[in-house]
Amino acid sequence: MLILRLWNYIRGYVIIIVKGYFLEKFINICTRRQILLWDIKMRGSGAMTLKISINGFKMLRPIARKTNCSVRIVQKKGLPFIFSRYKRRKAFVAGAVLFVFLLYVLTSFIWSVEITGNESIETGVIEKKLAENGVKAGKLKYNIDTDRVANSMMLAIDELRWISITIKGTKAKVQIAERVLPPELVPMDQPCNIVARRDGVVNSVVVKEGYAMVKPGDTVIKGQMLVSGSIPIKGEEERKRIVHAIASVEARTWYEESCEVKTKITEKKRTGNELEHTSIELFTKRIKLFPKKIEFDKYDKIETEKRVSLGGDLVLPFAIVTERFYETTEVVKELSLDEAKQLAADTAYQKALEKVPDGAKIVKPIAKFKEDENGNVTAHVTIECLEEIGIEEKIGGE
Amino acid sequence: MGRKKQRKSKKEKKEVNLKEKITEVLELPKEIVLNVPKLTIMGNRDIIIENYKGIVEYEESRVRINTAIGIIKITGSKLTIREITSEDIMVIGDIIALEFLR
Repeated sequence: MLILRLWNYIRGYVIIIVKGYFLEKFINICTRRQILLWDIKMRGSGAMTLKISINGFKMLRPIARKTNCSVRIVQKKGLPFIFSRYKRRKAFVAGAVLFVFLLYVLTSFIWSVEITGNESIETGVIEKKLAENGVKAGKLKYNIDTDRVANSMMLAIDELRWISITIKGTKAKVQIAERVLPPELVPMDQPCNIVARRDGVVNSVVVKEGYAMVKPGDTVIKGQMLVSGSIPIKGEEERKRIVHAIASVEARTWYEESCEVKTKITEKKRTGNELEHTSIELFTKRIKLFPKKIEFDKYDKIETEKRVSLGGDLVLPFAIVTERFYETTEVVKELSLDEAKQLAADTAYQKALEKVPDGAKIVKPIAKFKEDENGNVTAHVTIECLEEIGIEEKIGGE
Repeated sequence: MGRKKQRKSKKEKKEVNLKEKITEVLELPKEIVLNVPKLTIMGNRDIIIENYKGIVEYEESRVRINTAIGIIKITGSKLTIREITSEDIMVIGDIIALEFLR
């Protein structure tokens, strides 16, 4: 029944009211002439409403004359009438068609690449390799053979154990599993010494292979040999056994940094005046919507971006970018001596900490302060560390 | 005259009987071969009459339909003709009675 109703809607029909004395005769003639009628309802005596197809309605005039009935249209329903209403509005129809077309075209591109599952491989590296294989924002998705791309990705990046590329809507989802690389073998046949990487005081020496040249408490400078790879053989001073030295040499090292802090500092402060710019980003081009002049001398700028997407997976190449400008003024602020010391020590410590290599244990930081006649405070921070200073150096020529 | 008519009707009756028998033996659809209406009634809501001849009367409380076996009278309330073609008619509404008039 629903399908029939839908079919009638597509074909179009009219609801008419028929008035007259011989309504039964009217119906009978209609059926005899193969005109389909439905939903015939009596409206008191001598009047009825009924539904009739457009073609049937065109054949109604002689029947109405024959039976002395008057026919009037109450309502027109169905798609043909809707279409005829929009026939004159060509631009509207063109716009609707264009919209559907554009939506189709825009959704046949890839607009974002989502990479999940990588821990040690950088996302940027994967993105670059994917782009080389044709998977990047702006590429036509029908041209991408995901199996082929996955295969070449496996070849391109060694650390990959498994990769899957699926295209969902306008998003390319890349899932990755990383491989655990086998540990590097120690090349025992390659003779080497162990030398100091930097200056320090030796704390402990543990030799697994080789001949120790230093002992705990010795001060070493950068480049000094710590463990020799050539072991003298007792009794035969001329010949030496050449080995690949393996040892862990821990030493105390120091990292220094200083920082000067003025007790009078200028600080930025927001005045409360602000301005907002909204612009639309199309592909990579930015279009300003309501350009206003910024009348602030000094200001902070905060930018927020909102990407337009349909249902999460369908990311469109549009974004709304809002720029907020906050007017700022400079306020002179005086610090107390303690505050200045604290600030100087903190910044110096942070700077020194950047120099400390990974794997070094921080033993203790030492801070010294100096004041000059202008009221400026200088902090010297020394961080004492315990770290592995041994580094392999090949024994050349042998 | 009277006699003749009687005879004729007897002959017709025989023919009908023969037709009926043939259709029964061959399992042909009766409503087409015998030209009798086929009524389908669903509860007291809707009634479909196939192989009818025409509408005699149509009102909200009464519909009379002409068929080969006579007039079928449907009485009830809020009767509407849901669909009508040259072969079948579907009447819906609260049906109270269904009568066969000769």
